[in-house]
Amino acid sequence: MSSCPPYAPFFGFAGVASSMIFSTVGAAYGTSKAGIGIAGLGQFKPELIMKSLIPVVMSGIIAVYGLVVSVLIAGGLDPAQDYPLYSGFVHLGAGLACGLTGLAAGYAIGIVGDSCVRAYVRESKVFVAMVLILIFAEVLGLYGLIVALIMNSRASEARCS
Amino acid sequence: MSAQAAPAHATVQAAEQGGVLLKLVIFSLSLGIVPLTSYFASEKYVWNGNSTFAAITAIVAANVVLVAYIISSVRDDKAEREATKPSESRKDR
Repeated sequence: MSSCPPYAPFFGFAGVASSMIFSTVGAAYGTSKAGIGIAGLGQFKPELIMKSLIPVVMSGIIAVYGLVVSVLIAGGLDPAQDYPLYSGFVHLGAGLACGLTGLAAGYAIGIVGDSCVRAYVRESKVFVAMVLILIFAEVLGLYGLIVALIMNSRASEARCS
Repeated sequence: MSAQAAPAHATVQAAEQGGVLLKLVIFSLSLGIVPLTSYFASEKYVWNGNSTFAAITAIVAANVVLVAYIISSVRDDKAEREATKPSESRKDR
């Protein structure tokens, strides 16, 4: 059993795909849930819509995190070079770390965005609290991205035996 | 609101919506374009092929776009509130 089996790139590409897929699911949930609240707010105070779009922009940032990690991992996959199974697993782990934390962060951003935007109709001081809570929800995705970067930097350590 | 203020308010709203839509489109496009271009450009020209630093550069660029959006929306809201306040105080006198 060699350490560079031909099915090793399956795990590498699974990492690329899972990073993009799961973070996009999180961003979609965040966008849609916050959009529900914004549609409710827009009926009463349309001048507040630009400020209340901040949860939607933050959900977009979560998807950008997944995109950057996908591009990063895909840049390390080259059929002309040896690809040990170790690197395949590292890439899969990196993709899953970024993707699933993006899913969690998008979920949090959606729920927080919906409730805080609805509260912003009545009380304008909720805005600062909303931005702070959204920042804390977004750094969850950032932690996953940092772990994905650290893992990916170690992917080229193994050699074919 | 009085009936005299309603037409002025409607024209202000119509003028605002064109500008607001353009700003949103610009921010959406830059949120997609800026991180990717900064990733590839910094990987090639700044970090000499080190892709981890290029990814960090892309993430910093994406967060800069986010902060720019927050600042511009807060500033717009403040400017709009300053614009409507003096006209209301003149009516009270």
